[in-house]
Amino acid sequence: MAASNDTEIVSALKEDAGKGFRMLMAKYKEPVYWHIRRLVVSHDDAQDAAQETFVRVFRSFRQFKGGCPLGAWIYRIATNEAMRVLERRREGRLSLDDPEAGADALMADGYVDYSDLEAVKLQKAILSLPARQQLAFNLRYYDGLGYDEIAVITDSTAANVKANYHIAKEKIIKYMNSTD
Amino acid sequence: MGKDFDFDQVGKRMPYKTPEGFLDEMETNIWKELQGGLPQTRKRKTYRLHIFAASLAVAASIAMVLVLSPAVRKEQDSFSKVERAFAGLSQEDQEYMLEIYRDDIFMNE
Repeated sequence: MAASNDTEIVSALKEDAGKGFRMLMAKYKEPVYWHIRRLVVSHDDAQDAAQETFVRVFRSFRQFKGGCPLGAWIYRIATNEAMRVLERRREGRLSLDDPEAGADALMADGYVDYSDLEAVKLQKAILSLPARQQLAFNLRYYDGLGYDEIAVITDSTAANVKANYHIAKEKIIKYMNSTD
Repeated sequence: MGKDFDFDQVGKRMPYKTPEGFLDEMETNIWKELQGGLPQTRKRKTYRLHIFAASLAVAASIAMVLVLSPAVRKEQDSFSKVERAFAGLSQEDQEYMLEIYRDDIFMNE
């Protein structure tokens, strides 16, 4: 199914739940899964969180008033689900910003190609960042979203997102150039 | 990897793998979960069943009046109508009706 635009998806969801569901899934299931996967690393956790995201999207669709783009609203729900997974995972740890948590998950997951050393190191670099910098970097670099849209998703301002993105990029370059 | 890391070299490549067909499986799982809670669908079905239940109750009441009246001896016809109406229901609706009226003391006298 060809990806529809958000206006068509919203109309379809209001008129025919089944058709709207298929259109929404065709456009968003893959990017939403990958957005969550980059944050939580584990495939199983990412799949669970993505499923929960879409269930929430459909059950609370009546609350969507169109005040922000549909995509931003979905990404925001997905981000919250991913954060919930990370919080549950870090409950036993001392700090919520434990930089080792993401790297540990990366090394423990069965669905990772460890032979691609450069790609593994880049993900480790991203996972070592604070959550807001991770989000700004991932949503800009991988999803190609604008600063305004990322600001809606992360409940921030475009200026803050831009700053976080550039700081993240500098930190990643430094990490990648290190010999570790 | 030297001292000049370039994002273009890695691009959007990631080391993550996924099981085959998991996206379709995920879509199916979500739809199944939503089927249990889609308010429109449930409302429509419940409304339809209520109409059937009300119709059957009315038919049963008429049949009982006819049975209790000594002057009228058309009980066989009335019950036949009820039976025909019941036979016309889907399997699912028949089960629903049986479930509802199974413990009805007036229906089981």
